[in-house]
Amino acid sequence: MPSRSSQPKAALSDYKAIAAQYAKAKRLKELEDAKNNQRSLPTEPAPSGIAEKQRQALEARRKATFEKRFQWTVGFWVWMLCIHVISIFLFTSGFLLTRLVLDERSNCANPPIQPLLSWKGQGSVDGGCWHPKTFDKAVVVLIDALRYDFTVPVEDESKAEGFHNAFPFLYESSVKSPNNAFLLPFIADPPTATLQRLKGLTTGTLPTFVDVGSSFGGTAIDEDNLLLQLRGLGKRIVHLGDDTWTALFPGYFQPNISRAYDSFNVWDLHTVDNGVLEHIFPLMKPEKQGEWDFLIGHLLGVDHAGHRYGPNHAAMTAKLVQMDQFIRNLTETIDDNTLLVVMGDHGMDGKGDHGGESDDEVEAALWMYSKRPLFGRTKPEFVTPPATAKVRPVNQIDLVPTLALLLGLPIPYNNLGRPIEEAFAGKKGNAWGNLAAVARMASAGIRKYQASYFAARGMVQSAKPGSAADLWEIAGAASEGRPVQQAVYHAYTTYQEETLRVCKDLWARFDIPKMILGITAMALGVIVLIVYVSRDEDDDYAVLDNAELDLAEKNLELLDGSSVPEAASYQGLSKIVVKSGLLGGLIGAALGIAYVSFTNSEDWPMAVAAAALVSLVAVTITLSGAGKNLVNVVPNTVWGWLSVVFTLSQSIGFASNSYTIWEDSISLFFLSTFGFTNAVAALRRPTIAERTLGVYHSILFLALGRLASFSKLCREEQMPYCTSTYYASANSSTSASWQLVIPFVVFLILPSIIKAYMMTSRSYEGLAPAWIGYVFRMGLLLSAAYWALDAADNGDWITWLPAQTLKTIQVSVAQLVLALAFVAGTTAFIWAPPCVSILTKAASNARTAQITVLGYGNVNGARYLLLVLNFAGACILLSKPMGSGAMAIMLWQVLSLVEIVDLNALTAETIGPVTLALLGNFHFFKTGHQAAFSSIQWDSAFIPLFTIRYPWSPIVVILNTFAGQILACVAVPLVVIWKTNPKRKGVLESVTRALGVFVAFYATQSLATMAWAGWLRRHLMLFRVFSPRFMVAAAVLLIVDLVGILATLTGVRTNALAISEVFGWAD
Amino acid sequence: MPLVDPVTMSPPAGNAKTKDLGLPTQAIPTIPTPLAQGVRHVHPILLLSFFLVRFNALVSDPVSTMWTSLPVVVAIQSTYAIVCLPAAGSQTAKPAKKLRPGEKKSASSDGTVPNVAVTTVVALVLTTLATSVLHTFFVLFGAPLLTHLPHTSLCSLYLSLLGLFPLFYTHGVSNKEWLEILGARAPFDEAFGGLMGGCVGAWVGAVPIPLDWDREWQKWPVTILCGVFGGYVLGKLVGGTVAFGRRFG
Repeated sequence: MPSRSSQPKAALSDYKAIAAQYAKAKRLKELEDAKNNQRSLPTEPAPSGIAEKQRQALEARRKATFEKRFQWTVGFWVWMLCIHVISIFLFTSGFLLTRLVLDERSNCANPPIQPLLSWKGQGSVDGGCWHPKTFDKAVVVLIDALRYDFTVPVEDESKAEGFHNAFPFLYESSVKSPNNAFLLPFIADPPTATLQRLKGLTTGTLPTFVDVGSSFGGTAIDEDNLLLQLRGLGKRIVHLGDDTWTALFPGYFQPNISRAYDSFNVWDLHTVDNGVLEHIFPLMKPEKQGEWDFLIGHLLGVDHAGHRYGPNHAAMTAKLVQMDQFIRNLTETIDDNTLLVVMGDHGMDGKGDHGGESDDEVEAALWMYSKRPLFGRTKPEFVTPPATAKVRPVNQIDLVPTLALLLGLPIPYNNLGRPIEEAFAGKKGNAWGNLAAVARMASAGIRKYQASYFAARGMVQSAKPGSAADLWEIAGAASEGRPVQQAVYHAYTTYQEETLRVCKDLWARFDIPKMILGITAMALGVIVLIVYVSRDEDDDYAVLDNAELDLAEKNLELLDGSSVPEAASYQGLSKIVVKSGLLGGLIGAALGIAYVSFTNSEDWPMAVAAAALVSLVAVTITLSGAGKNLVNVVPNTVWGWLSVVFTLSQSIGFASNSYTIWEDSISLFFLSTFGFTNAVAALRRPTIAERTLGVYHSILFLALGRLASFSKLCREEQMPYCTSTYYASANSSTSASWQLVIPFVVFLILPSIIKAYMMTSRSYEGLAPAWIGYVFRMGLLLSAAYWALDAADNGDWITWLPAQTLKTIQVSVAQLVLALAFVAGTTAFIWAPPCVSILTKAASNARTAQITVLGYGNVNGARYLLLVLNFAGACILLSKPMGSGAMAIMLWQVLSLVEIVDLNALTAETIGPVTLALLGNFHFFKTGHQAAFSSIQWDSAFIPLFTIRYPWSPIVVILNTFAGQILACVAVPLVVIWKTNPKRKGVLESVTRALGVFVAFYATQSLATMAWAGWLRRHLMLFRVFSPRFMVAAAVLLIVDLVGILATLTGVRTNALAISEVFGWAD
Repeated sequence: MPLVDPVTMSPPAGNAKTKDLGLPTQAIPTIPTPLAQGVRHVHPILLLSFFLVRFNALVSDPVSTMWTSLPVVVAIQSTYAIVCLPAAGSQTAKPAKKLRPGEKKSASSDGTVPNVAVTTVVALVLTTLATSVLHTFFVLFGAPLLTHLPHTSLCSLYLSLLGLFPLFYTHGVSNKEWLEILGARAPFDEAFGGLMGGCVGAWVGAVPIPLDWDREWQKWPVTILCGVFGGYVLGKLVGGTVAFGRRFG
């Protein structure tokens, strides 16, 4: 009897009992074996005292090696996590630039600087807030994708393209009557997508993909903008056309006369335009003039013609001719006090697409018209509009201060633009005083904004010569005393240009080299991972389970206690990889730091990139030195190919918005393919029992997947081919009452299902009956109760309890479930004995005692399952009623998956972890999520909490959002250790390999979505489809890495320690 | 006639005849008469041309087109089976007959040859019954459960008619042989190759459905049917020639 009493924990009594039983039983058995079968023990067994000591020493040694192996394995995964973090960081730092949204608003009576002029009604909306008012009303016609060269006539007809000479009115009118109209190139700031452009055109700032503001979830603009100022000052706004406006400005527009049209059907060239044309002219009639102050018409035909046909096409010509006629007619109807603005929000590239920052995409046209002669040019040659957009362009953000000052509004707080010269230069083009006044006013606003932005971000503004602060001082000095107004104007303009340059640097451009670095690091990471998990013939330790060899080896080790046996090759892999990774990382970091300090560039991401890349290269070299290379990655079985098809086809599919949009159905299709193939493969098993079980579990896997697929939350783009079932209706985020039955059904049947799966290996022993039958079941009941209470709360079913009490009860119930799952669950998992029961049946004579270890064949898997159940319990609570059903089905599918893998002998294949990863993704969709921001269930943060509390709230939202992938990640070891006995060698290495395959799947997806998002950065759907999918993939990858280290590997270690306490170490 | 194929991973089908019982099923060659060989080669052309002719109708009205085309496809498949394939039972009765040209005539007049009409009818009944199983699998792969029932049913009927009917005709209901066929370890011949091709074709046929091209032909189940026909013809061709007698794994 081994004296393990060195651990005096009371909780160990179970262990001791089982271990004692097992040791006793084993001794009997060995004795018996030795007597019956001498050849199995080549040497006489040593006297039991010495043997026992040797055995103990051996066990201690094996334990120590195991701990070392574990540490190196964790080291490898931490290294992998770092690589992934760095790759994603590099890519996003080039791709997703962020900007802080400030909440301050400009105020009519409170200009940023005292005006130079004084006028009647100063500081009021009637006279003009910050500058004398010029117009009462404005009509803004936005022709989507109106590129500047579309409006410039080409005299030589032979050189004219389809889009030339079709829309000459803007050009002609500015040449003919320069005091009434002017045409200028109108440069957009990338990203040139309509949504971002509208933000820029109304706020006067540079929108980036992520504008971190107070309402992160919605698209509505919550920073100061023109429309907000108009509405605040009691002006009435009417909108006709593209419905993006209504998403950005909900509730801004006059309800009965505004008309919004769907904007994403790019095949339809006419619906939106005809709608605008139909409704705009009635509003221009004198009797209707009193119903609005600011009229927006947004036409999409030109943009759609571009997307569909490209710019050089007859359809585009026709569209431009139509626009030409439309603007001519509209001009006729404008009165003296109304300003007419016609503009494009961006251009289009040669294929008619936009989104990026190429010249053709950013060069739009701007035309302003006033019936009163008002406009001027500061030089006579400026009367002719520029021939190309490279000459005298204005920025799109310049529209905001121009419109604001012309209409007598305050300039929105975030504005970075400057007033357009032509609009303020006066008829003769020499109103320098006026120009100086508006430039000074706009610049003062910019300065105020800059100060608060830098303060909010905690940054310090540079004061070097030539910096913005310096230029401000110069401009201020120029306006002292009796200033030369022209010089003052130019000084403030220079200040504005410099500030804008600084901000552009900060916010609005893709940094292609960084994106490429990120993609490269990620790609190398995937390659390393794939090579790491590849097999060569001499490390197929799964087949090393050879009892005789084992015994011989053990005896050898027992005899020769001093020499530490050479570790099997597979055991040292993590170690050498980590060592070379660290070394490479240090060298790379040193190089990077040298580069940064040498060039004095402050470009720290480059240093990080150098560290990661050198580290990756070092590891690759080490791996190929260890006999692993890309050649043995090529699959040689149907299953290997199936894994490759699943992973690659989906990754390639992410290049298409359709396949990204329909990913949920596609995941089901692949999962079904897996189930079907396994049903077929099961028919090849030798015995009828195996065939039946194999087909049963495969079909069950298929059917459960299909059942789960009825839980849907459709994304906008899936309409009208999809019906949401996740909530009570498409427009609610509460569950229907029939859905409340689901958690109760889960509570009733899930524990029994788990029991049934454990019973097949007689593993429903040890802690399992109590934990699964009572504690887990209790948790499920509580979470069902939680959702019933939640529905009662939402539906006011319980009126006799104050709402606050009800909420308190709910939160306590939820906290109790989470405590059961994570606190009690973890404790139980750490201290649980193996799920076995040892029966010693004494036969008639003592020499042939029968020892039966119930559950011996699934010692590793059954005990580990307890950890999976803990996560499942928590996820079921956090996934809402419909999602709890999906998570229960997922758990069931995982169990049948591991059965299938075991029955069809696929443990050594990659298909198990790949399918698990696919299953995780599938259930991401089935728990009411989509790769879109709007599907994040923020309200889940309040399931176990009253208010937002860090770090708990984000953790809860992550558990809700990525429940599928997290549960899959925790379940990875089951694929390789389900139905294995304690003599299974290399458990840790099998698990880390399986985890490697699993993570490789997500890393490949991450790489693919990253590459596609970078490549398609001009695509119309970039910000709706590709970027969100990339962000999901990146988040999943990091989460899976973390869960893999913190739960999966740690759990396997705990499991191994607990099992070896009883059965000894296998290697 | 590539009956003895030495380049197989498993024992060549030709060897099996010497020690047949308890051993894997053999690949079934088409009947070597000139008529049968002719029909065998015309059959895929006929099938594909018919499909192409009906394609536009299929796109505009899948269900009724599939209904009205059914008799023609049944006729094509039955003729092909009767003329080119040995009926179930004739294989075990005379496994070696095709190797010896001298015995061919006597084999055809042999009284033990099963009744072709009965075999055909039984095979057609089995084909129809199998449709429901295929329909279930279509649904499990994501086909609509409650809507488009006639679409899915007819589509699976076609898969059954192309992929399964020749197998029912040649193998009857032999347990052992069907275990091998469903386990995908039967040796490749025209019938089994056709089934494999049809299934893979149906799988690949699902690929274009999600694309947002707004094309009429993307509607359910047109692409699947395209895949089934294309895959069947290709599988039959490959199974009857280069892959003949080989096995998976």
